[in-house]
Amino acid sequence: MDLLSLVRAASEAAEQPTFSLVDINADTIIFTLINTGIIILIYFFFLHKPVCSILDKRAEAVKKDMDDAEKAREDAEAARTEYEQRLEQSKEEAGRILSDATKRAQQRGDEIIAGANAEAANIKQRAEESIEREKKRAVNEIKDEIADMVIAAASKVAEKEISAEDNERIISAELERIGKEN
Amino acid sequence: MQTLELLKNAAEFSVKGPLQSIKFSIGGLDVTISESIVVQWLVIIILAVVFFILGRNLKLKPTSRRQMAAEYIVGFFRNMVNDTMGVKYKKYTVYIGALFCMSLVSSLMGLLGLRAPTSDLSVVATWGVITFILTQRNKVKTGGVKGFFKGFIEPMPFMLPFNIIGEIANPVSQSLRHFANILAGSVVGGLVYFALGQVAGGLASIGVPAILSLYFDLFSSFIQAYIFCTLTMAYVSMAECD
Repeated sequence: MDLLSLVRAASEAAEQPTFSLVDINADTIIFTLINTGIIILIYFFFLHKPVCSILDKRAEAVKKDMDDAEKAREDAEAARTEYEQRLEQSKEEAGRILSDATKRAQQRGDEIIAGANAEAANIKQRAEESIEREKKRAVNEIKDEIADMVIAAASKVAEKEISAEDNERIISAELERIGKEN
Repeated sequence: MQTLELLKNAAEFSVKGPLQSIKFSIGGLDVTISESIVVQWLVIIILAVVFFILGRNLKLKPTSRRQMAAEYIVGFFRNMVNDTMGVKYKKYTVYIGALFCMSLVSSLMGLLGLRAPTSDLSVVATWGVITFILTQRNKVKTGGVKGFFKGFIEPMPFMLPFNIIGEIANPVSQSLRHFANILAGSVVGGLVYFALGQVAGGLASIGVPAILSLYFDLFSSFIQAYIFCTLTMAYVSMAECD
């Protein structure tokens, strides 16, 4: 017996029995069922469940974000509308203030003009009064001068000294009469 | 001479079924745990670690690629179920997701040089049975017991045998497709490894099989997992009685 055949014999002895190539073995089926069940559990608990839960959570988060964004958009829209309204209001307000001011200025101007007119009328009246007074004074002065002239003329005419008091009295009476006739 | 040697070696190449890894008995009941189950335990550990890392410490604002990946995976199964079955079958998402991951990672075990559990008919048949049960359950649920039995004699009573065969054929074909694709992939892969090992003193087996592995292990694993899940969803949602 050579070495090679010895090794071959040893390896044949060590060779384990095998199933036939196409064979259905009940033990294998049962163990495969068990192993498949284990792998289903492993897949479910180690991978499927955590991933699905995170996917669901993410979907929720995305939905929430989208809702928030929608809400923010609506808020912005509302704020814009309000702002526009306020702008409109302030424009109106400004317009009103302006027209008020214009009106008031107009009024004030009218008042000033009216005041000025009144003043002018006043001044005019006073001037007229003053003129009237001056006229009267002038007339009186003329009267006095005429009296003096008349006296001088009369004294010359009379050639006779009449007492100044008598003269004065006669002429005054005469002038009074003339004045009344006037 | 060399060709003869190759052929002689090729005769020794054989594809065996899964190993009977552990044998014990409980209460006189003999239990044989196959290699497929042992590799499935590894799959469970891998998936538990991956899912745990992916699913922990998730934030409302995703900042890590880890979280992106986790959300992508869950979203992928969610969309798959919603598109194929409709929103009302939403709760199947967990089963489909788990089934897809288990099938994919099981098939990918071939990349590590282990025997892919999906190349064991018993494993895939289990999922076929689950599909069958879910399908029948959905029939009863939507049509009641009366609708369930009525479904078998539609459109004509003489269609009864065909309907029964059709019901059974669905999960059987689905299981066989998945199992056979992965097994064939591993057989072809094994053959290529063996053949390349025989030529050029075994140097050819470095690098060259990677291309085949890309198709048979990566692409096929993904496609078969996807097909199996899609078929499961289609069978279950089509079982709906009007």
